[in-house]
Amino acid sequence: MKKTKTKTEKLHEVSFTLNEKKVSCKIKASVLLLDLIRDVFELKGTKPGCGEGECGACTVLINGAPVNSCLFLAVNADGKNITTIEGLTKSDGSLHPVQESLVAHGAVQCGFCTSGMAMSIKGLMNQYENSHNVPGEIKNGIPSRDEIKKHLEGNLCRCTGYVKIIDAAEAMFKQEQ
Amino acid sequence: MNFEIINPGTTKELLAAVKKFQKENFRFGAGCTDFLMELKKNPSEGLTVINLSQVKDAQFNGLKKSVKGLRMGAMLTAHKIVMNEEIKNKYPVLHNAAESLASTQIRQVATVGGNMCTASPSGDIACALASLQADCELLSTTGKIRNVNINSFFAGLRKTVLKKNEILYGISIPANIKSTKNIFSNFIKVGTRRSMECSVVSLAYHIQTDSNGIIIKAGAAIGASAPTIRFAATACDFLIGKKFKNITQKEKEEFAEKVLSYASPITDIRATAGYRKEVLFNISKSIFE
Repeated sequence: MKKTKTKTEKLHEVSFTLNEKKVSCKIKASVLLLDLIRDVFELKGTKPGCGEGECGACTVLINGAPVNSCLFLAVNADGKNITTIEGLTKSDGSLHPVQESLVAHGAVQCGFCTSGMAMSIKGLMNQYENSHNVPGEIKNGIPSRDEIKKHLEGNLCRCTGYVKIIDAAEAMFKQEQ
Repeated sequence: MNFEIINPGTTKELLAAVKKFQKENFRFGAGCTDFLMELKKNPSEGLTVINLSQVKDAQFNGLKKSVKGLRMGAMLTAHKIVMNEEIKNKYPVLHNAAESLASTQIRQVATVGGNMCTASPSGDIACALASLQADCELLSTTGKIRNVNINSFFAGLRKTVLKKNEILYGISIPANIKSTKNIFSNFIKVGTRRSMECSVVSLAYHIQTDSNGIIIKAGAAIGASAPTIRFAATACDFLIGKKFKNITQKEKEEFAEKVLSYASPITDIRATAGYRKEVLFNISKSIFE
C-alpha cells in the first residue's frame, strides 16, 4: 500500500495455482502474466504474439476463462487458478480431448497459434459447463459452429484458414455431449 | 512500461488510496485492456496505478435487479453482461453492444466502468448505456455518492466529469415501462471487420411500444460520430406517439436527419467524415425496416 519514490521498485508477492500446483513469487508491479509464465516459471507453451490482445496466441485460462496473458497484470493473478497449455495435458502425459481433436483434424500447421486456440476452445467448454450452475446466466446446448467461430474471434491463425480448427472444436463438442 | 501499483482490497481502502494520491500522477486500472496498451506505447513517468481488480465489494463488481431497473457495479465485466439473461431479454442493445466488444478474451476482463471512463466516442457499451439513459454513481473520497445522468457524464474526447477525488462506482439503467409490449432494441456497429473492431460509426437504440404498437419511449445514441457519445434527444422525441410499424419513408428520413444533427464526425484513418455521416443516416433509417 506504499508508493516508493526511490529507483528501486517495490516488489509484490503473488501466490496462485498454476496448472494445479500452488506457486508464489515476488514481482514488479508492471510484470505481465505472459512474462511471468514464460520467464519465471519457464512454461514456453504460451506464445508471445502481437502483445496487443489481437492474436490470442498468449491465451491462458484464469479461473477457467480464456484471457490474453499479454494484457493481464501478473499482480492480479494473486489467488487465481491459472491453466496454461502445459496444464491441459493430463498428469499421465496423455492429451486432453481438445488437443486430440486438433491433432485428428490436422488443425495444426506451424503451430504458433495452437496453444492459444486449444486454451480458447477449452474456455468455451468450461463456459458451457459452468453456465448451468450460475443463476441468471444464459444456458445453451452444445456450442454451434457459429458460436465456436464467434468464440474464437480473438485467436488468429495465419496457416490453416481456420476451417480445420473449427472442425476440430465442433467434433470435440459433439463427442463430449 | 514502469509504474507502481496499489492494490486496495476493500472500498474503504480504495477511497483512502484515492484520497492519498488525488494530487499525484495516478490512474485507475480496471480490466487494463486499453490502459496497458496505452502504457506500452506512452509510458508515464512516476505513475501510480490504483488497481481496482482486487476490491471485494459486490456493489462494485456485481449486478443487481430491482423494481427500478438494473444496477451494474463499475467493475462488472463485458462477459458478465453478455451472459446475463435479464439483459439479453430486456435490454438487447446492451447485450449486443457488449458482445460486439473486442474478443472473447478481452470481454473476460474489460469492464463497464472502464468502457465508460475511457470516454472514447466509439465506446460500445457506453453507447448502449447512453441509449438506455443510464445513471452514473460517482463515489467520492468522503463516501458520498453523486448521481450524474450519462448525458452529462462525458465532458469531451476522453474526458469525463469525474473529479480527482471521485470514482465511477455503479451504473443504473431504468426498467422498461410497465405497459411496454414490444421492444425494438439493437446496437448497430459499422466497421471494416466483424471482430476486434473499433466502430467506424455506431448507433444504439432502445424503443418501447405499447399493446397497440405505439412508441411510448425511445432512446437512441450515436458513437464514433462526435467528440463524445451523444444521445439524440430530438430524434427520440420525434418518435413518441407514432406507430413503429407504420412509420413512413418521410418520417424515417426525418428521424435520420434528427439523429444526424448530433453528429460532427472527423476524418481519420478509419473513415472520412462524409462517409460517417452517410452511414449514420442510412443505419438510422434502417431501424424501422
